[in-house]
Amino acid sequence: MSLLEVNALTKKFGSRRSVDEVSFTLQPNTSTALIGPNGAGKTTTMSMIAGLLQASSGSVRLQGSKDIRRHIGFLPQYPKFYSWLTALEYVEMVARLSGLSAQEASKRSKQVLEYVGLGSDMKRLTSTFSGGMKQRLGIAQAIVHDPKLLLLDEPVSALDPLGRSEVMTLLKQLQQQTTILYSTHILHDAEKMTDQVLFMKEGKLVEQGSLADIQLRYADPQYLVQFAHDNDAERFAASRKQLVRREVNSVYLAIDAELPTMQALMSSLLATGYDIVKLERVSASLDQIFMKVAGANEHMARVVD
Amino acid sequence: MNTWRVLWIKEFRESWRSFKLLWIPLLFLFLGVSDPLVNYFMEDILNAVGNMPEGFQMIMPELHARDLLLATTEQFQMMGIIVLIAVFVGTISRERSGGTATLIYVRPVSAASIFLSKWMGASLVALLSALIGYIGSIYYTSVLYGEITFSTALTIIATYSVWLLLVMSLTVALSAAFTTAVAASLAIILIPIGGILDSLLGGYWHVTPWKLARYGVLVTDGTIESSYYWTTLLLVIGITLLCLVLGIWATDRNRRLAAV
Repeated sequence: MSLLEVNALTKKFGSRRSVDEVSFTLQPNTSTALIGPNGAGKTTTMSMIAGLLQASSGSVRLQGSKDIRRHIGFLPQYPKFYSWLTALEYVEMVARLSGLSAQEASKRSKQVLEYVGLGSDMKRLTSTFSGGMKQRLGIAQAIVHDPKLLLLDEPVSALDPLGRSEVMTLLKQLQQQTTILYSTHILHDAEKMTDQVLFMKEGKLVEQGSLADIQLRYADPQYLVQFAHDNDAERFAASRKQLVRREVNSVYLAIDAELPTMQALMSSLLATGYDIVKLERVSASLDQIFMKVAGANEHMARVVD
Repeated sequence: MNTWRVLWIKEFRESWRSFKLLWIPLLFLFLGVSDPLVNYFMEDILNAVGNMPEGFQMIMPELHARDLLLATTEQFQMMGIIVLIAVFVGTISRERSGGTATLIYVRPVSAASIFLSKWMGASLVALLSALIGYIGSIYYTSVLYGEITFSTALTIIATYSVWLLLVMSLTVALSAAFTTAVAASLAIILIPIGGILDSLLGGYWHVTPWKLARYGVLVTDGTIESSYYWTTLLLVIGITLLCLVLGIWATDRNRRLAAV
């Protein structure tokens, strides 16, 4: 049985549809990335699932039930804490708000703060924390009540590379125990820890599936041939009908019946005697897929219009 | 339902750690003791300052204990209340716009818990301030101007506390309903400015909420009819309850304004 069902979720601000009939389901203990350009409606979707925003229409159900606030942990993009509370006091407070007894709250809070690596800082005021520490505190407060679903809005976007890798490591561990839905525009991170991706664009869900599926669908594998001299590349490119793209010193070729394998390409290259630096079979990175999904549908929309 | 208590502890910690529980009572204490002391020592103060023309005669009005208590109440009504409004008018709206409210609102917490914890947090500071301010005022008044009975003191402080509960419920309700700037404007118009208007024009009627603070002093020596006092008191309690209900409603309605 699926954990979360989102059905035709829509949010209108005036006549503008920020989120337009978004539907998807999340399976237990999976992690899903919500991907899309800025303004695609990712945060609005998250806020509606978290119950912060009332949906204009559509529904969100967690294991069939409608009041899901008890069962989710939410981390906004820029979590703000009460500056006069210590990390421990803060996490204890929110744990109690989520229904833990005082004793449980105290025990669990210490546990999760240790877990996110704030064990030695838990008695410090949150106002003294760095950006990365705040984000880890944000994760601690989101998991303290053992939620069934973790909603993380851009959990790593605001962090420096070190903070980002710390947080990603944490999330990868959490992935084993709980269901995660997180939004991001850093696709490199999504690549590392995602079972399912949801692409949003202009409020609509434009593509979804497992990362492997989508990569296959949009992979568009090509050969990259890199030459030592640009004029070699120039001459080689002119002789090939498979040419896709030319860059300085390099040529991208489509894979077709004439060049089905690397061997075929190599033997045709050997005949030329050019000085070759690199030969590679490349497929689209998530970044390129991202651009493609965004671009392709723009094109589609224009055709339909 | 225990969540309001958890939130109230948070409010208390804020008041304590941001020194609100210290400086606002101290302000009220200063306001409270200033009238009895300044009036009593007025002649000495003028003599010490000097520069009075030769043969200048000044007739000091004959002041009674009641007049000093009224003066103290006036001080609280102007300075004290404006400070209380300024400090607490953002208590809900500022958390919403600042984003700290977001992580509270995603949890299973009722609007009543949120609002009532805020109201009680603010009221605690207000009541403590008034108590300390009046104790200072009553102490010096009784030492310098004649005895004040315990029941008089109790009536004055209790009545003023009821009035402050109204002020804080209105202030916090406005904070729940509007942005900080709008709430502040409305609170200042409704409470101190309303009070000034009422004292200018209020000779024509006997019962308005703004009169309660004065009545609390006047009823102790029978200057006003006690029926006016009781009607005003009930009116104020009624409006307070109304503010609480509206405040809870507004808190619930404005959840969506929490910044994400």
